[in-house]
Amino acid sequence: MNRAYLGEFEEIVLLTVAALDGNAYGVVLTHEIAEQTGRSVRLNQIHSALQRLEEKGMVKSDMGEPTAERGGRRKRLYSVTAYGQRTLQQVREVRENLWSRLVKPFNLAIDL
Amino acid sequence: MKPDPRKPPVLAEKLLRWICAPHQVESILGDLHEEFIFQAKKVGLQKARLFYWCEALGFIKLRYIKRKKSPYSSTFIFSHDMIRNYFTIAWRTLSHSKVYSFINVIGLSIGLAAAMLILLYTKDEVSFDQFHANNPNIYRITSQFISTTGQQKGLGANTGFLQGPKFAAGVPEILHAVRYHGHRNDIKKGNEIKSEEVFRVDSSFFSIFSFPLLSGNPQTALKEPRSVVISEEMAEKHFGNKNVLGKTILMKDSFDKDARFEPFTVTGVAQKSPQNSSIKFNFLIPIVTNHGEMERSQNWFNTFLNTFVVLAPGTNVSLVEKKMNLVYNADAKEAIKEVAAKFGVTDRKVYRLQPFTEMHLSADLPADNGLTDHSNPQLSYILTGIALFILTIACINFVNLTVARSLKRAKEIGVRKVIGGGRMQLVVQFLGESFLLCLAAFIFALALVQLTLPTFNHLANKALAISYLFDIKLILGYLLLFFATGLLAGFYPALVLSGYDPVKTLYNRMQLSGKNYLQTSLVVLQFTIASFLIIGTLTINSQFNYLINKDLGYNDEHLISVEKNNLTREEAHLLTLELEKDPNIIAVAPKNGGRWNTAAKVSGNIELQFAYETIDPQFLPTIQVPIVNGRNFSDAFPADSARSVLVNETFVKQAGWKDPIGQIVDFWYDNLKYTVVGVVRDYHYTSLNEKIGPQLFTMKPRNQYGRFFVKIKAGTESTSLRHIGETYTKLFPLDPYTYKFIDDENQKRYESEAKWKQIMLFGTVLTIFISCIGLFGLATLSAERRTKEIGVRKVMGASVTSIARLLTSDFLKLVCISFVFAFPLAYYAIDKWLQNYPYRVDVSAVTFLEAALMAVVVAFLTVSFQSVRAALMNPVKSLRSE
Repeated sequence: MNRAYLGEFEEIVLLTVAALDGNAYGVVLTHEIAEQTGRSVRLNQIHSALQRLEEKGMVKSDMGEPTAERGGRRKRLYSVTAYGQRTLQQVREVRENLWSRLVKPFNLAIDL
Repeated sequence: MKPDPRKPPVLAEKLLRWICAPHQVESILGDLHEEFIFQAKKVGLQKARLFYWCEALGFIKLRYIKRKKSPYSSTFIFSHDMIRNYFTIAWRTLSHSKVYSFINVIGLSIGLAAAMLILLYTKDEVSFDQFHANNPNIYRITSQFISTTGQQKGLGANTGFLQGPKFAAGVPEILHAVRYHGHRNDIKKGNEIKSEEVFRVDSSFFSIFSFPLLSGNPQTALKEPRSVVISEEMAEKHFGNKNVLGKTILMKDSFDKDARFEPFTVTGVAQKSPQNSSIKFNFLIPIVTNHGEMERSQNWFNTFLNTFVVLAPGTNVSLVEKKMNLVYNADAKEAIKEVAAKFGVTDRKVYRLQPFTEMHLSADLPADNGLTDHSNPQLSYILTGIALFILTIACINFVNLTVARSLKRAKEIGVRKVIGGGRMQLVVQFLGESFLLCLAAFIFALALVQLTLPTFNHLANKALAISYLFDIKLILGYLLLFFATGLLAGFYPALVLSGYDPVKTLYNRMQLSGKNYLQTSLVVLQFTIASFLIIGTLTINSQFNYLINKDLGYNDEHLISVEKNNLTREEAHLLTLELEKDPNIIAVAPKNGGRWNTAAKVSGNIELQFAYETIDPQFLPTIQVPIVNGRNFSDAFPADSARSVLVNETFVKQAGWKDPIGQIVDFWYDNLKYTVVGVVRDYHYTSLNEKIGPQLFTMKPRNQYGRFFVKIKAGTESTSLRHIGETYTKLFPLDPYTYKFIDDENQKRYESEAKWKQIMLFGTVLTIFISCIGLFGLATLSAERRTKEIGVRKVMGASVTSIARLLTSDFLKLVCISFVFAFPLAYYAIDKWLQNYPYRVDVSAVTFLEAALMAVVVAFLTVSFQSVRAALMNPVKSLRSE
């Protein structure tokens, strides 16, 4: 199967963009990812990932309205393209497939 | 929108704006700002700022810096069609604005020409003596005294007869040694006798130095004692052709009283010595010829000639020096002891080696005593400085004019950008223009160099030729100069012009941003350099005038000096009687020849070094120097010639005598004691570059005279000279006759000052000229740019004077600011320079004021022409268009 390579961090960013449903931009993404994954993310990493995703054609961006809290600057709002959606779908399928093949699913003794 | 008081760090924002690609920068800045506000609420302003900085620095990555590629294809910058287009446009613009092109070409070509001349000069200076095949293994033997306390003194490059042969025999690493001794000989051609400088050398001369012979065998040419190698020039002069092997020349030693003319056989004809050679000879004879001198010179302590050695390639020089000193200490052991016992000399002499190629520019051990054209490296620095100044100023003109004129071309740039011209294309376009101008300037400069070379040669005391240009290193140097100038002059304008925003140039009236600090500071720099040079020139000028006009303490007018070696007292007496037959001759006074120095004991243990003069009673009256204490020598006191001396005032001061008359001067190594009978007023017996030192006059009959002074009546020069010449040849038919006027001679002492004065003057005039044409160009452009403003002002009732003043004062202010920088610099430089002179002018405020006035007046004249023209323009014309 010929599919685009997607890094782990990129996957998280792409999923978060999808989850935010058209309201995704730099700061929100940082906060959301930090909250969801519990790891600290820096803005330049997010921007870098977004640029890569855009180059791969998995997200597209549009400029939003300027707001006062941004010093009068516009947001660049990201949304997932059809190609991005399909890639996410494929990733999920691969994972689920693999999970389903586990003979003895893990039983964690203590829920951390 | 109210500005938020809690602003993120401005500098960090600037940094981001600068590094991030334009299509990314807004969202990145926005995100960071939003995050900053969030953080500020959460953890406080200070931490938020720190956080902002950390985040901002995280954006220094190629990913954010990379610019988005243009989606539209662009023509390749160096495509065939574009190159043609660059040149077409460049040619059109340049020929369209003639004043501008003219100013740039003239300025640049003068600058380039100056730089080329200096390159020629420096090439010559550093290539001095490099042409010998044995380099770098040729050395000159030098010596130094080291006192018992380890103090180094008495550095000298002269050696005697012994050092060369002894060292060559005792140190195996020395392949050859050659002694080189310049000496004046009388040469007879028919009935005519000429005094010529003849060099006595060892027969190994041609094995060491690469002077090609036109005819003759270099190995054997100087083997026979009565052989002579002459230069092609002398062959032509003496025999009329160069085919002179085997012919004879009659020569005699001019210092030896008993010498006769003896025939020397020509065994070789040498090519003219290269102009960058320290050794330049017309006659070479074997050094063994002079037997009398040989005998007198079997002494380690006589030093009067240059000795050169060739070492085996790859020899350790300090080892050879050590071995040389071992040879000296062993061989001269007895002699050293003897001198120590007799004169109490305790200083130790140490021999060293100086690389042959270093002599020319050496400050401590110069090329002298028969070696020519020693030069001061300081002069190279001054020349290079002036050339760089001129070139810099020309480049500044270029930058200033191009940037100032660019406003007129803003529309062109806008249109080019709108129809798809990339920034690189514009840079290439403007650089192309600057190179085209530079090329024109370069060609002009070559012509200028050819034109000015004779004058430059005269001033710099060189014989440079344009054919020197055909040297791969020099050509590379010139190409480098060309490209450096093109880049230097064109790069900044190209960068500024290509950066114009097409929207602004096409819709708004273009203004240079800010106050145009660059142009302002460049003009200030130009005039700083110009005023600096003016002050320098004025100072050199006044110092020079001071030197040639200063009262020397004696009267050098109508005073003639005639050289005559070995003139005895009787001959001098006869000569005086003969000469005084002519009523136009006021006085005749014989004197010793060269400059003699010696030392003697005065009052107890004080030993004094002084100038030692042999004169007769007429001498002081002839040059009109008074006796301030005691009496002159006189024939009425027969003891004078044996027992009496005169001393000058400095002598008395240094000896510490209260009552000088009757004091004893003890020539202790001769066991002779003299009594002082008179004190002579101090006069400048040497050049003013030296302080008056102690001087002693004697009439000792054993000392022979070397020349005589003749004082003649004013206006009788030609008859008196004829009489002197006739008398001289009648009395001394076998001696060459040469005379000179003392006042001419005194002026000649300052020839180097006179030459440097002229070079500085040229440099200054050129600098001012180029600065002014630059200013002229700027004034023209500024007047053009402000045409409308002037029109409006006139319509509103401004007078012509007020408008002219408005336009002029802008530039004059800059000139005045330049003094602030020029004055301290110039003061420092000239103060340092004047320290070299014991007799000097003071650094005066008047010089600075004069320089300031000159700069202001010249700048004013330059600018006011354009200003007045602009102010006189009819406002209807300027306002009607557009």
